[in-house]
Amino acid sequence: MKKLFFTSCFLLFLSSLQAQQKITLHFHNKVGDKDLQLFTETYTNKFGESFTVNRFKYYISKIILIDSDSKYYAFPSDYFLIDEADSLSKTITLTTAAKKINDIQFLIGIDSIKNVSGVQTGALDPMKGMFWTWNTGYVFAKLEGQSDASHAPQHLLSYHVGGFKQNENALRFVRLNIGQNVSTKNLILNINADILKWFDNTSTIKIANQSVCHQPGNFAMQLADNYAGMFSIQQ
Amino acid sequence: MKIFSTIFILIVLIFSGIAWTNNSFKPTPLQFIVPKGWPQTVYDFKNNSLTKEGFELGRKLFYDERLSKDSTISCASCHQQFAAFATYDHNLSHGINNSLTTRNAPALQNLAWQKDFMWDGGINHLDMQPITPITADNEMGETLQSVIVKLNRSKEYKAMFKAAFGDETINTQRLTKAISQYVVLLVSSNSKYDKVMRGEAAFILPEQLGYDIFKQKCISCHKEPFFTDFSFRNNGITTDTTLNDFGRMKITRDKNDSLKFKIPSLRNVAVTAPYGHDGRFFSLMNVFDHYRKNMKVISNTDSLLQHKIPLSNFEIGQLTAFLYTLTDSSFLSNKMFAPPGYDITPNFIHNH
Repeated sequence: MKKLFFTSCFLLFLSSLQAQQKITLHFHNKVGDKDLQLFTETYTNKFGESFTVNRFKYYISKIILIDSDSKYYAFPSDYFLIDEADSLSKTITLTTAAKKINDIQFLIGIDSIKNVSGVQTGALDPMKGMFWTWNTGYVFAKLEGQSDASHAPQHLLSYHVGGFKQNENALRFVRLNIGQNVSTKNLILNINADILKWFDNTSTIKIANQSVCHQPGNFAMQLADNYAGMFSIQQ
Repeated sequence: MKIFSTIFILIVLIFSGIAWTNNSFKPTPLQFIVPKGWPQTVYDFKNNSLTKEGFELGRKLFYDERLSKDSTISCASCHQQFAAFATYDHNLSHGINNSLTTRNAPALQNLAWQKDFMWDGGINHLDMQPITPITADNEMGETLQSVIVKLNRSKEYKAMFKAAFGDETINTQRLTKAISQYVVLLVSSNSKYDKVMRGEAAFILPEQLGYDIFKQKCISCHKEPFFTDFSFRNNGITTDTTLNDFGRMKITRDKNDSLKFKIPSLRNVAVTAPYGHDGRFFSLMNVFDHYRKNMKVISNTDSLLQHKIPLSNFEIGQLTAFLYTLTDSSFLSNKMFAPPGYDITPNFIHNH
């Protein structure tokens, strides 16, 4: 009995030696090279259209850290809602056994399983407002504001992007290079998210042409393709 | 050495403490009975085990007007038991502040076998369904945040959530799971038709003749035992230019789905008037006239309806006799489904 007790204590001790590193991700929402300011600042996109931002939120999930042997360290059941209005939400901490890593990969949005399995809790609670009730599904990313270029009522700029079914899949993976064999010990990654990419990346999106996206479909997928390129690692 | 044994004993005590608290949460299980000959349910009870406590909480929520913004409308306002949980008399359902919705509240029955919800099938899970009417401006007009704040103010609700789920936490998931526990038990399988099928009763002649006509002309879409095949079809209904509701197309954005709506079940059809997604058919006679005369065949009208449905007055009489055998009075008057504290739904429930 006593022997068993000491063995288990020893095993516990060993497993604590199997070092778990804590990695911190800070998301910095930007417009070009400026830090995003909700409500107060007016920005201009590449097409000379000025706009303000009142709300900027997006889901990050399926984070994977990749080392130089292409070994994956995955966090399959962690879902994070990054909300510019909630500064705490912009920091994510992860605990991993990875010692040295090269890349980080994540999904912008919520995988299809969670879109079809009923009501979820935590960051995925429909109460968070990132949800379409009339056509069940998560809104993966939201950019809301106003723009003189918008022809919508109140000159609204309102891009809600989602869609997980075939032919309307707006889920996008992002893979960012961190460096070569970067030690995970006390690693802090600063990740920029540049709103200007929403308008200008693989597609050209002018507010004057389309200032509202409230359903899955082609436009949502174009926006998703564009914002999939908004992330970069701050050097 | 001594300190190790102390720690060990403490750990043992903590774990047995946890085990003891878990044991004190013992809700009473409720069994879901699949009627003989019916398929397995779509609803997965593994993720939401039915209990008496969960059902009773769901029933209380279903009848609670506090779920709406101004505390005037509950789920039961538009889903009345005596109308098989559709709305008696209303073509379009009524929301808060004298608002009208764009559709007729469907009957709630046999939901455990349904894989999507609403006339256009936009909702993919039973647990998701209540969120839509609670938050829609022209229905209950409330936010989920506010509903949860209100429920948290009630000692009674806190106790009921604890009894159903083990602790007092109230969140969207628990709220909707409880409502599901109530509505999923709204099973109608005891009409005269069912008794005939089970060999416990016999059709009278007009009912039997009606059943024969039904099997020739209606059953492809209104399939037994649910009297719907749960598909979406264009039945030649025309656009209402004030509503501009194109049904399924809104969900799929495919123009071939224009004006397709879910085939409604015909169970309890005698008590669920008015009919159609927007309640435009006041009576069964209006529905028969639609299929034999008034429907408009367009490019995506269902292939089975290309020549409308020829129906003589004689056949309509027999069909009506058959359809009346689908009324399940034991379901319509089951005390278990009545508001907490009542045997039948009292009149004041219907105040909109």
